[in-house]
Amino acid sequence: MIHAVLADDEVLARSKLRQLLSAEPGIEIVGEGTNAQETIDLVRASKPHVLFLDIQMPGMDGLDIASELSTGKVVPAPHIIFTTAHDQYALRAFEVHAVDYLLKPFTRERLSSAVERVRKQILLASQQQAVNGTLGQSPAGYATRIVFKSRGRIIFLPVSDIRWINAEENYVRIRTKTETHLLRETMARLQEKLDPEMFLRVHRSSIVNLQHVKEVRTEAEGDYSVVLLSGDKLPMSRSYRARISGLLTRS
Amino acid sequence: MSLQRSTRPQPVFMHPAIFICGSVLLGVLFALQEWMGMRLWSYHVGLVLELEAWGLQYLLLGTICWTVWWRFGERIQQANLKWIITRGLPFSIVAGVLEEMVWILCFPNLPLRHGHMTYWPRLAFHLNAELIDNMVILWCAIGLFRGVGYYQQAREKEASAAQLKTQLAQAQLRALRMQLNPHFLFNTMNSISSLMQTDIAAADLMLEQLSSLLRIALERGEVQLIPLSDEMEFVEMYLAMQDVRFMGRVRQEIFVEPELHDALVPAMLLQPLIENAYAHGLSKLEKPGQIAVTVRRQNTTLTIGVTNSGRGLHPATTNGGRRQGLGIANVKDRLRLHYGNDQTFAIEEMEQGEVHVKLTLPLQFSERPTAILTGYGA
Repeated sequence: MIHAVLADDEVLARSKLRQLLSAEPGIEIVGEGTNAQETIDLVRASKPHVLFLDIQMPGMDGLDIASELSTGKVVPAPHIIFTTAHDQYALRAFEVHAVDYLLKPFTRERLSSAVERVRKQILLASQQQAVNGTLGQSPAGYATRIVFKSRGRIIFLPVSDIRWINAEENYVRIRTKTETHLLRETMARLQEKLDPEMFLRVHRSSIVNLQHVKEVRTEAEGDYSVVLLSGDKLPMSRSYRARISGLLTRS
Repeated sequence: MSLQRSTRPQPVFMHPAIFICGSVLLGVLFALQEWMGMRLWSYHVGLVLELEAWGLQYLLLGTICWTVWWRFGERIQQANLKWIITRGLPFSIVAGVLEEMVWILCFPNLPLRHGHMTYWPRLAFHLNAELIDNMVILWCAIGLFRGVGYYQQAREKEASAAQLKTQLAQAQLRALRMQLNPHFLFNTMNSISSLMQTDIAAADLMLEQLSSLLRIALERGEVQLIPLSDEMEFVEMYLAMQDVRFMGRVRQEIFVEPELHDALVPAMLLQPLIENAYAHGLSKLEKPGQIAVTVRRQNTTLTIGVTNSGRGLHPATTNGGRRQGLGIANVKDRLRLHYGNDQTFAIEEMEQGEVHVKLTLPLQFSERPTAILTGYGA
């Protein structure tokens, strides 16, 4: 059972969360805070797995609470999901390792996907602790998540959700299972941030997630293409051919 | 007003060096003319003396005139006839005499062949010959200075008329732009209100989508021209909202040439067109329909197309301005105000009741692309 604490100074906001969470299996609300101090005390006392946190509350703001809780005074620190009407704190929320950032008003589906992320993280943490007792960090400082704004929403996107990326002049288009996001970013900078064990540049204008590659196909006249599990087919430059077959056979 | 006048640029020829040199040059021309004339009458006078005498005369006159400009130029530029006559007449007489008094000091041998004369008779002689000339020159200068004033005033009037025109256009654009938010806001709220009775989840989703749209619209404020990528993001969100309303019955397609993401377009240009496509075309269909938005480049022109399946253009849609909707009129007006005659807007009926809206506008790119918040981390 996942224990949750809700922190919001508005009655109706808490009641919405309560109602939506009651429909989520395996979640139990162990306390509700209406201001900063109350919330911190609650978290210290009840040690919840997840904290739903409004950014603007009387006392200190949600980000202060989050940093207070992440300094190690509360062990283990709860996973935090921000629920707020303001989008300008997204980067800072991302930096304090919030799991998700829900802009009010949010739908049941949006909340469900945030809860699902918490479930995954709890599972992952317990597995890793069982193996070597440390929390998972990506190798050599590669990004495991990207934060950006897309279509009026704040997205904390785990890079494992990315299927492939293509360049569009000064922009890149990131493609996940259900959506595409246009970001003003260069391929070079993106490639630098992504773990090369996981992401491969197959062409001047495309990067693929190797976990989503089905096969490399030889086309006519010695050209190659990469076929994804989704069925998408991307052209591949000859120079990348050797590298991808090495990586694919290894995995 | 007087502050503005003192800071406005003055004509180049009123620079002291240029003005005085020009005036000396005029003297040199008169000297040459006189010298040639004398020769024709077999009356030989040294060329050097001619040049010196005429040159100095016009150097003095030029200096006097420029000093007047320097001290009183601003005033003369705005002066009326009475002011000019009451001050110009005494000035031209006094300055004409003074100039002559200085000038004869430098040429004690003039007039030639009149034997030795003392200072005062010489002054009388030269004044008799040249005072009127001097006065004519001085009046020409006064006339020139007043002319500069007329010219400057005309230019200022022209500039302020142009400025007024831009301000008016800006105000109109702002009003048109502001018309759009409430328009689509209340229409959407009405849809949500309707959905609440039948489908709570859909109403909830639409409310979230509307909030996102509103958040973006508020963030952009009254900016008129935005990068196409921003406009298309808004279009995608609006289309997603329409998709909820039409429960996936309309196939939506978007195509934008990648090099155009940073092209500048008027904000909220496409939403009224799409709203129109749904309201007058797609909503009238019983079978599934489709809508396509395409943005392409043709040399220096940006071409935007919105095509939707429907029941064609009814006579009422093309003729009656009211049926065509506030949105379309708004788009047309804004295109005209932004681009004058460099834009086109056309609605036409294709086969099988398809309606195609095509607009073209000059291709411009944003200088400072929108900073999109992006962060990487664990």
